[in-house]
Amino acid sequence: MNLTGAPASLVAHIALLALISFGGVPGVLPDLHNFVVTTNGWLTDQEFANCFAIVQAIPGPNMILMMSFIGWKIGGLPTALASAIVTFGPPCALSYTAFHYWERFRDTPWQSRIRRGLTPVIIGLVAAGGYAMARAVDAGWIGVGITVGAAGLLLGNRVNPLWLLGAGAVLGGFGLV
Amino acid sequence: MAYSLEAGQPAPRITLPALFVTFLTVSMYGFGGPIVWARRIIVDQRGWLDDMDFADILGFCQFLPGPNVVSLSVCLGAKFRGPAGALSALAGFILVPWTVGFALGAILLSYAQAALLQGILRGVAAAAAGLILATGLRLLVPYRRRPAALVFAALAFAGLAVAKLPMLIVVLGLVPLSIAVAGREPVPAR
Repeated sequence: MNLTGAPASLVAHIALLALISFGGVPGVLPDLHNFVVTTNGWLTDQEFANCFAIVQAIPGPNMILMMSFIGWKIGGLPTALASAIVTFGPPCALSYTAFHYWERFRDTPWQSRIRRGLTPVIIGLVAAGGYAMARAVDAGWIGVGITVGAAGLLLGNRVNPLWLLGAGAVLGGFGLV
Repeated sequence: MAYSLEAGQPAPRITLPALFVTFLTVSMYGFGGPIVWARRIIVDQRGWLDDMDFADILGFCQFLPGPNVVSLSVCLGAKFRGPAGALSALAGFILVPWTVGFALGAILLSYAQAALLQGILRGVAAAAAGLILATGLRLLVPYRRRPAALVFAALAFAGLAVAKLPMLIVVLGLVPLSIAVAGREPVPAR
């Protein structure tokens, strides 16, 4: 892979963002948007938004796919692959190493304290991600109804979530959302 | 490096192919965010972890940089089967789902302006948002008797969702406080 110019600087930027994306990759998307759309003009605002909307609605590792599509638009398949690899490679190596030591000290009192403090905050962030997604849809009361209905049905544990996503797709396809 | 063996009861025997297939499944179902499916498949269906242990490891992975469910697959693979387990879970999570998702997304991107597709994407996103909210609530259930934990979860939610603070600020602001408060509570019997 011979990456120079725009593809090389894109891949380097994604690699850097991935390594500082504490709390998850969505947190660095505003920075990526600035770099790709505002600073360099490689993608339009709408293209960036389309990439995000599509990776939310297709299966697979969505943030890795998001980086891949941006890479693809800027430098074709080699850039897509390179963007994907730098998104998960270095962070996964870091997680693996850190987890090794984390598990080794699993039964120590200080780690139990950290876990009991850290985990609730992270759970709040997960829920906030759902809320932000609902707000981004901004689709009136039917959209809110779909969100609340999907949450309620999943909590009731009666329905396979695929049906809920399918129902959302059908209602959206009929232009109701 | 099978970390879970010292717990007294025998750890479930989780094979490398099982790790590959499980994380392949999580990833392939992962519309709108794989966290929903990771919890459903690993906790509800496979019974590999309970909600609390799942939330702890997810918290660890989410705190570290990177795509956090991918990190979760690496860490759970490592927890159950060491380095080979980490690679199996990671390969399961990425190889096939990336290829399928990339092909599918590349086709969809060329129709991205079509009103029908925009409508479908909005409908799926609205439902996926509900699934993520419900998963957050579900993960809080083990903490229901700890008011401080619920308060910190609510503060984190409000900081990000309502006050629109950057994630890093919320994490760095709340985590030390939350840990300090957790240290003053009696350690719960687990």
